[in-house]
Amino acid sequence: MTTLEIETPVAEDELQPSIDTLLQRVRASVVQVRNRARGVGAGVVWQINGAVLTNHHVVAGERGPIEILLTDGRSYEAHVVASNADLDLALLEVQQVGPGALPLVAVGDSTSLRVGELVFAIGHPWGQRDVVTAGIISGTGRVNIPGYAEPVPYVLSDVLLRPGNSGGPLVNANGGVIGINAMIRGGDLSVAIPSHMVIRWITALERIL
Amino acid sequence: METSQNILGMLSGQLANAVERVGPALVLVNGRQRLPASGVVFDHELIITADHVLEREEDLSIETHADQTMAAQFVGRDPASDLAVLRVPNLGLDPAPTAAGAARVGQLVLAVGRPSSGGPMASLGVISASGGPLRTRRGAAVDRYLQTDATPYPGFSGGPLVDSMGTVVGILTTGLVSGTALAIPTDLAWQIGRTLSQQGHIKRGFLGIASQPIYLPAAQRGNLTQERGLLVVRVEEGSPAEQGGMLIGDVLVAMNNQTITDTDQLQAILAGGVVGQALPVTVLRGGSVQTIQVTVGERE
Repeated sequence: MTTLEIETPVAEDELQPSIDTLLQRVRASVVQVRNRARGVGAGVVWQINGAVLTNHHVVAGERGPIEILLTDGRSYEAHVVASNADLDLALLEVQQVGPGALPLVAVGDSTSLRVGELVFAIGHPWGQRDVVTAGIISGTGRVNIPGYAEPVPYVLSDVLLRPGNSGGPLVNANGGVIGINAMIRGGDLSVAIPSHMVIRWITALERIL
Repeated sequence: METSQNILGMLSGQLANAVERVGPALVLVNGRQRLPASGVVFDHELIITADHVLEREEDLSIETHADQTMAAQFVGRDPASDLAVLRVPNLGLDPAPTAAGAARVGQLVLAVGRPSSGGPMASLGVISASGGPLRTRRGAAVDRYLQTDATPYPGFSGGPLVDSMGTVVGILTTGLVSGTALAIPTDLAWQIGRTLSQQGHIKRGFLGIASQPIYLPAAQRGNLTQERGLLVVRVEEGSPAEQGGMLIGDVLVAMNNQTITDTDQLQAILAGGVVGQALPVTVLRGGSVQTIQVTVGERE
């Protein structure tokens, strides 16, 4: 008969509990965005009134209701309030939800990112729910976008992204969302829209609306 | 609503510090048509980079962390290790900090490069393997190498693989084995770099024999314990081997007091700066062990 040996940690592990706490908190605010036309993507609960942020390309062309699924199993109907193809951002309004029913994500400072900083991505690659990938900030770049006088910054990271991650958050070591994952460049470079650009876009929308 | 600094935050900050620390010694290298590559300051006014990213030996330049473009002179190259050296007069940058001790499998590392003027880029991984010697059909030949799963972004070749302290553990290249991120360990890379800065190329030893590995039956090993050796099947006329007295039919079993059981081991010894030296060569001849002296020549 064989005996099983239970492995004993060499030292008190402090790293894993802090990752657990971080992911548990962020996961509650990450949703799956489903529509009939283009399949599934991810999103984050961005504002107190239940507004959900995702990529434009996740909801582009969708006129009917969009389904929002939370980690805890709740699902809601939502519709597109605003969308910008150049920034690849879309804001969804969730219907029939009371204030505070959707847990808000913490927004981190994306104006002073450092290359090498740890980041986590949460999304639903190929439809698999709540998958976590980790990596670092690989760099930043800038791109010209119509309607913006200055080139718009974007965030590069080496986290593994696949279809279904789009619209999901890129989170720093403090649990703050510093970007919205949008695409993969050259096979292995992940591109995210920095949070401060999201804030600028939403602030400008509010002025118009 | 961000939490206060925890161990995860400290690790994150340390990785960013590592990139920042190596940054001033990390340069962009302009030496080919398509996108630039990376290089590392390893000595006074000297930059080590990858050989395959230099498509020309003139009209070379570098860009520093301070966005300064400076003309660079070609100093030397070694296609076998995919390393090359440039000299930048009045560079004014300190050599990169180097890691003490050998890299360990599983150790966290960052691949860092400067493929564009927009600041350094980095990817995270671990040392996946540490091995050597490496020889490929395409001419790669290095004693030791490191392998990593950190993503080698375009333009990263010639840049450093650094540990979590920001000290260099190796020079990264995808040119030795196409598409695979390998690094030449710092001590070896710096040694090759210094040799290149002194003589422009690496002298590789030459014996002038053709050989094949064979199994040695127990009764034919003399008093040796090794089971394999190299059977000499040709000795070139006028070669160092002929002058030293090697004969067809000899079984080469050791050189410079190092056991030889395959051709990689022989090549590794010949690549180790032994040109011009008279080395003891141990052979099995007629069932008995004999040691002769061979003065190693230089491969053209």
